Amino acid sequence: MAMATRTAHVICPADELPPGSRKIVDIGGRSIGVFNVGGELFAIRNSCPHQGAPLCQGTIGGTMLPSDPHEYVYGLEDRLLRCPWHGWEIDIATGSPRWNHARGRARTYRAAIEDGQVVIEV
Amino acid sequence: MTTAAPHQASQHSANIALRTIDCDVHPHLKDGLKTLGPYLPKAWRRRLLGDVSLGWGKEVYASQLSLPKNDIYINPVGSMRRDAFPEDGSVPGSDPALVVTQLLDGCGVDRAVLMGGNVFGLGALPDPDAAAVIASAYNDWLGEVWLDHDPRFRGALVVAPQDPQLAAAEIDRLGDRPGVVQVFLPLMQLLMGERHYYPIYAAAERHGLPIALHPNSVDGIYQKAATLAGGVPTYYVEWHAALTQVFQANVISVACHGVFERFPGLKLVIAEGGVAWLADVMWRLDKNWQALRDEVPWVKRLPSEYIVDHVRFTTQPFLEPSKPEHLWTMLEIVQGEKTLLFSSDYPHWDFDNPLQALDRVPESMRERIRGGNAIELYGDRLA
Repeated sequence: MAMATRTAHVICPADELPPGSRKIVDIGGRSIGVFNVGGELFAIRNSCPHQGAPLCQGTIGGTMLPSDPHEYVYGLEDRLLRCPWHGWEIDIATGSPRWNHARGRARTYRAAIEDGQVVIEV
Repeated sequence: MTTAAPHQASQHSANIALRTIDCDVHPHLKDGLKTLGPYLPKAWRRRLLGDVSLGWGKEVYASQLSLPKNDIYINPVGSMRRDAFPEDGSVPGSDPALVVTQLLDGCGVDRAVLMGGNVFGLGALPDPDAAAVIASAYNDWLGEVWLDHDPRFRGALVVAPQDPQLAAAEIDRLGDRPGVVQVFLPLMQLLMGERHYYPIYAAAERHGLPIALHPNSVDGIYQKAATLAGGVPTYYVEWHAALTQVFQANVISVACHGVFERFPGLKLVIAEGGVAWLADVMWRLDKNWQALRDEVPWVKRLPSEYIVDHVRFTTQPFLEPSKPEHLWTMLEIVQGEKTLLFSSDYPHWDFDNPLQALDRVPESMRERIRGGNAIELYGDRLA
């Protein structure tokens, strides 16, 4: 399979994206959200695979895990990005809807701190 | 099939040539509650029948149609087939010999599942003990008068939903009686996902018996009866068309409460509850689940998958759209080759003829609906 050519893009100095913050940037006409979640960086296309909502304006959190009837077990803390329109829970690392993959996924990109700069590869 | 419950077997295990299984046929008490007199304990005979010239026995329980009576919505064409009255003029469905002649022999029905009749509305009775005692008497009457009459009859035990422990005890008492194939649960104003019902589900699962539902004759009429949505219908036609709301509400309830996660062997049969609404309910539940599943995280799969796996629907009153392709599409959406059970509703006015009703069903699923799905559901209990 041919590898698409990826280009590194500098987003901002690392100290402008502290844990718990995000930036939504435009890269070549693509809106992409870059997140610092507890020191871990994620970059994800700002478009929900369901109906194109601005996904990266959603909240980051966890959810109730599959459980026995009438019991709640909270988990996946900080692993889910919840779409601001219809509430779909998107895995922030993979861009896939966490519970039903039928509608495809949001594109994700490698994100890292290099030489004190937040860099993503698009 | 070592993992199957004793009475749940694969579609191949019933070693008999069955073609048409009628999954909704109604036996009626020839003389209302008085018919159950011999099956009631003495004290309850006194309590319920007492002096019939004064008590409920005359005013309410003498009804040949439902206990309690529905005096509000009266079918203007009569709720019974006009040609199904026995010669003595008693209510249709009260003479087993006539049902044999007219339905089994007359329409090529190989097995008929008898259910309800007068006891459809039992859940509306305010007295849980009276409801349970009537249920037990009815079940003994059903066995003696019907199930022992012809080897093609099968029956649904009725249980009173008001006291789930009594209902479970009744299932344990008669659940393995020859001829019994399911438990009929009259509904009341408490949706079926609620824990109140779980002892009943546990008992049904223990005996490998599906739980069957049916319109309850008194929906929306008594305070304890299942309610109808939106308000109070004016006409019988309006009330009758609205009855499917009750089943929509209950299917949604069991799906959202994870009833089939808790009771993985449980099956539900919705008799005469409609079919086409299922498309909307399944799509709507599945769509909501995408966003709202963390409120009910025990719903681990798409809600529609639980419905297709665990709920069966009888066909009558069958879909009669003007364009046959609309029927075909709807049958495909609701996965009729798996979910639908043929029923005639004999001897009611809106009967579907076993010899004709499925003629427009595609061949690919016609025999499944006519009998295959029922054989898969009831297994050796049909043998």
